[in-house]
Amino acid sequence: MKVTSESLERTIEELAKLPGTGRKSAQRIAMYLLKQPDDSVYRLAETLQNLKRSVKTCCICRTFSDEDPCAICENPKRQNGQICVVEEFQDMYFIERTDEFRGRYHVLGGVLSPMNNIGPDQLHVKSLIQRVNNPEEPVTEIILALNPDAEGEATSFYLHKLLQPFEVQVTRIAYGIPVGTDLEYIDDATLSRAFRSRSTF
Amino acid sequence: MLIHSLNLRNFRNHTEKALEWAPQFNILTGPNGVGKTNILDAIHLLCMSRSFVTTSDRVLPNQGENWFELGGTFESAARSKFSLKTFYSVNEGKTFFVNDSPLDRLTDLIGRVPVVVMCPEDRKLTAEGPLERRSFLDGLISQLSREYLQNLLLYRRIRRQRSTLLLQDALRGEMLRSALEPWNVQMADVGGKIIATRALVLEHFAGYLEQHFKALTQLSLRPNFTYKTFMPVQAGQSPSEISAQMLLALDAAFEKEQERRQSLIGPHRDELVFYLDQIELRKYGSQGQQRLFTIALKLAQAFYYQDQSEDRPILLMDDVFGNLDSEKIRTLVRILEEQGGQIFITHASGSALRSAADFSMKNSVWYEVSGPEVKNITQSTS
Ligand SMILES: [Zn+2]
Repeated sequence: MKVTSESLERTIEELAKLPGTGRKSAQRIAMYLLKQPDDSVYRLAETLQNLKRSVKTCCICRTFSDEDPCAICENPKRQNGQICVVEEFQDMYFIERTDEFRGRYHVLGGVLSPMNNIGPDQLHVKSLIQRVNNPEEPVTEIILALNPDAEGEATSFYLHKLLQPFEVQVTRIAYGIPVGTDLEYIDDATLSRAFRSRSTF
Repeated sequence: MLIHSLNLRNFRNHTEKALEWAPQFNILTGPNGVGKTNILDAIHLLCMSRSFVTTSDRVLPNQGENWFELGGTFESAARSKFSLKTFYSVNEGKTFFVNDSPLDRLTDLIGRVPVVVMCPEDRKLTAEGPLERRSFLDGLISQLSREYLQNLLLYRRIRRQRSTLLLQDALRGEMLRSALEPWNVQMADVGGKIIATRALVLEHFAGYLEQHFKALTQLSLRPNFTYKTFMPVQAGQSPSEISAQMLLALDAAFEKEQERRQSLIGPHRDELVFYLDQIELRKYGSQGQQRLFTIALKLAQAFYYQDQSEDRPILLMDDVFGNLDSEKIRTLVRILEEQGGQIFITHASGSALRSAADFSMKNSVWYEVSGPEVKNITQSTS
């Protein structure tokens, strides 16, 4: 095969490395970009460069942020003794969107997964313990908000055990039924979990 | 469940075929190696998401091609008419479509079109190790219970994570013990559910096996089995009780697991031992006894399924009749007529089949397969 454009081929190769993108979609995206006006493609390139340059990791909660510490860690109104532990940045974003939680966050940066060589040392666990130990900002409750899959469950169990010696209450978010969904359309595992974590009226 | 039509493109030796099926007997005759089994396999793949002949999808496209397509129209008790389609390419794998809308997960397909297969490979059920019998059992239950299938997949995931820990050289002693702990709790939780379900289903299933073995053989020997897991379990025992025991057993097995570097406790090591009267079939049963036992097992599966779900599974019988004498064939055909579901039969010799049993041709279709050509010969036989 003769490659007539080395730049196009390189772009396809780079795009194909992105998660969820095979060679076919990479080709499609590359062709799309080629057909766009110059300035919109340059804007995308500039945005990508800025992403790496200006996004930092918050030294307290380990979330992505333009400022370090992040706006939530800096906000004194968010100091209510609660820390919500999430897997990734986007989980924090989802919880923030609900306006339900008024405390602070801690982003683990993943979950335990021996298959992918992820143990406690690869996660932001030590920094969580440091926060629990910090007398300047007392923590009363750690809320575990991890995904209810095998890895999320293992991580919740691990953190729960790790936090036992500290004077802090460890809770987890309940397994629920999606709002507006009929019972008959919910899979058995979710329904039986929702049943077990039922609450009093 | 009925399959009305089947389209094959580039599947094995069938470049382009459209076949219509009858509601009861569908007979495919022709010499070996002309592609009879491939047609049954196409039905299996369409309904169960995988081939029953091979574990490698790559060998399925016609020689020199890198894709195949299968499509079928179905009718079920729950959903009057629907179509299934699958497209495979070497690069992108398989995609399934129900009424042309794509399925997100392959597991969504299981149980939609129930299928029971009888094929020469079945001899492994009675002749080989526990793995074959566990997959029979898992297939039997998964077709009826989505929750069971989900638990199996979850259990497999947990076990893989746990195995990785057991294989790490840097993790030994107390470090390994505490690394295993978060996985043990879950493995015991899911394992307990799987074991409880297996015990319950098997107790129910035993009667079906006995009944169909008797009908098939007219022998006074009683077929039975014992289900062995890491502890003595009774049908009806609560999953949480088994889980609690399993957690203790995992704890007690720590040293041994560390030494052997594998998971030694749980349903992945369950065993199902078949007996005729008091005689263990695998060790002391004759080939003839083993063959009849397996056929009875599959018949029992079909009947058990239809009692539990009010729909009949499609029966795929690949080269089953070849090893039976004409009296057994007659008996088997009578049982199948009583079952009343849609049945696909492959057989090498048309004349031998015709002389052994009288297939009522009203609800049947007969194809003569000769390599690229599949000829409907139904009319000429009636
Ligand atoms: Zn922060």
